[in-house]
Amino acid sequence: MIEWRRWAVPLGWLALLLAATLGMGQLDGLFRWIEADSRQVIYARADFLTLLGRHLLVVSVAAVLAILVGVGAAIAATRAWGRDFLPLVSQLASIGQTFPPVAVLALAVPVLGFGTLPIIVALFLYGLLPIVRNTLAGLEGIDPGVMEAARGMGMSGGQILHQVELPLAAPVILAGIRTSVTINIATAAIGATVGASNLGDPIISGIVNGNTAYVVQGALMIGLLAISVDSLFSRLPLTGSR
Amino acid sequence: MIDLIHVTKRFGAATAVDDISLSVARGELCVLVGTSGCGKSTTLRMINRLIEHSEGEIHIEGQQIRAFRQETLRRRMGYAIQSTGLFPHWTVARNIGLVPRLLKWPAAKIQARVEELMALLGLAMEEFAGKYPHQLSGGQAQRVGVARALAADPDILLMDEPFGALDPITRESLQEELRELQARLHKTIVFVTHDMDEALRLADHLVVMHQGRIVQQGRPLELLREPADGFVESLLGGEDRGLKEAALLPVSQRMLPLGPRRLARERIGQQASLREALSVMLWRHSERLTVVDDDDMPVGELSLRRLVGARSDD
Repeated sequence: MIEWRRWAVPLGWLALLLAATLGMGQLDGLFRWIEADSRQVIYARADFLTLLGRHLLVVSVAAVLAILVGVGAAIAATRAWGRDFLPLVSQLASIGQTFPPVAVLALAVPVLGFGTLPIIVALFLYGLLPIVRNTLAGLEGIDPGVMEAARGMGMSGGQILHQVELPLAAPVILAGIRTSVTINIATAAIGATVGASNLGDPIISGIVNGNTAYVVQGALMIGLLAISVDSLFSRLPLTGSR
Repeated sequence: MIDLIHVTKRFGAATAVDDISLSVARGELCVLVGTSGCGKSTTLRMINRLIEHSEGEIHIEGQQIRAFRQETLRRRMGYAIQSTGLFPHWTVARNIGLVPRLLKWPAAKIQARVEELMALLGLAMEEFAGKYPHQLSGGQAQRVGVARALAADPDILLMDEPFGALDPITRESLQEELRELQARLHKTIVFVTHDMDEALRLADHLVVMHQGRIVQQGRPLELLREPADGFVESLLGGEDRGLKEAALLPVSQRMLPLGPRRLARERIGQQASLREALSVMLWRHSERLTVVDDDDMPVGELSLRRLVGARSDD
């Protein structure tokens, strides 16, 4: 009962997202009111379920890569042997985020060609900073007394990392991942400009053809997806949150 | 049991510990005392290699500590610190069972050991086993810290100002408990503190450190009676030394057998310290006390002249 209630809000948003995905066609009347002049008011070049699937795929792949590299780099930079790289790691991650994703796309397309790959690279770089920054903050924020006791008790470096540092830093690390993924759900839309078909398609197509209804549909879907995912993250059980 | 031979520790150009030699016998409680930055904590942490010494040798039971893997060495020594360092995401029981788990004891044995230690430290199993550190008071958390240090039954216990952050009443009761524990367990303990009263109360062997060097070491009474220099004397409390010494001596040492005179009305236990006896005299405006045993039976008497150590009683 309590378990169910915990998930009620995210499930509600997911239901709304699903309803919008499958039922967009039923809203013909509403969108005709927004965009009275156009012949067609519901985006139809691809169905919304496919677009949603591709959007999720791109964001997930970028997120998995950013988590692996970001958390990995932050762990390495906080080990005794990696301390020297600490400033470098945090600077690189900052540069990743100050670099606009559009610019990354522009640079990546000549190398990687059109399609999904350049947008994954752009999202990966853009999503790296929150993850690196929060992982560093989480690991550095552990009570020095706890670390001293862990070493003094005779735990090995690996044991300290897995049994003490990661569990205690988990809430902060997850908060970073949450920020990264939520931002990237929105940012992924620009992938539509380089031929990665996703929920950005209706928006770009709407702008190009002067069809506001398309833009609203794309924005609505992306917004619902971002809120659903964010809401799911907020309900994750955290062992280290005490 | 623990031998430091001409040990020096340098941090860059600064010398934190300067050529110290120290032997701690098996079953002895050795207290390192001194002002902040005198090198006492550094000395302690060199013994379990949280800090590596720069020069000299440190031996445990005759073996160089560098002959052991760091983890192996540390698992053989209990370690308790001022901030307790309890893992906030683990329950009390799990925290206490840490080192036995590292040593891969079977689960049933760990469970039994945790129960044994909680009983030893006066922590009720039903009440505390499932609690998390943030639900404990300072004194309870420190008890758990000591239980964790004792978990794998190490011969050596290293304690770095373990009671430093506690209120005076809790601190005194934990000092008393440590003394009782030590009387039963006979661990070899190295204990660091800046509190001279604590040091005098606990130490078998007292080591005074100043600016990285050992200025004097010996039994607490020896230091009180013959401080090596002005620093030791001031650390020992200057004019308060008489009271500090009195706190170390039991009434039974100065009392006289019951004489022909009427028993004095005020009583004092024979295990009480001379300091307590003096306090009773001051409070009750009495120059004589009747000394009683544990069953409240008179066994002798103590006069003020006798208490202050005058040669004879008239």
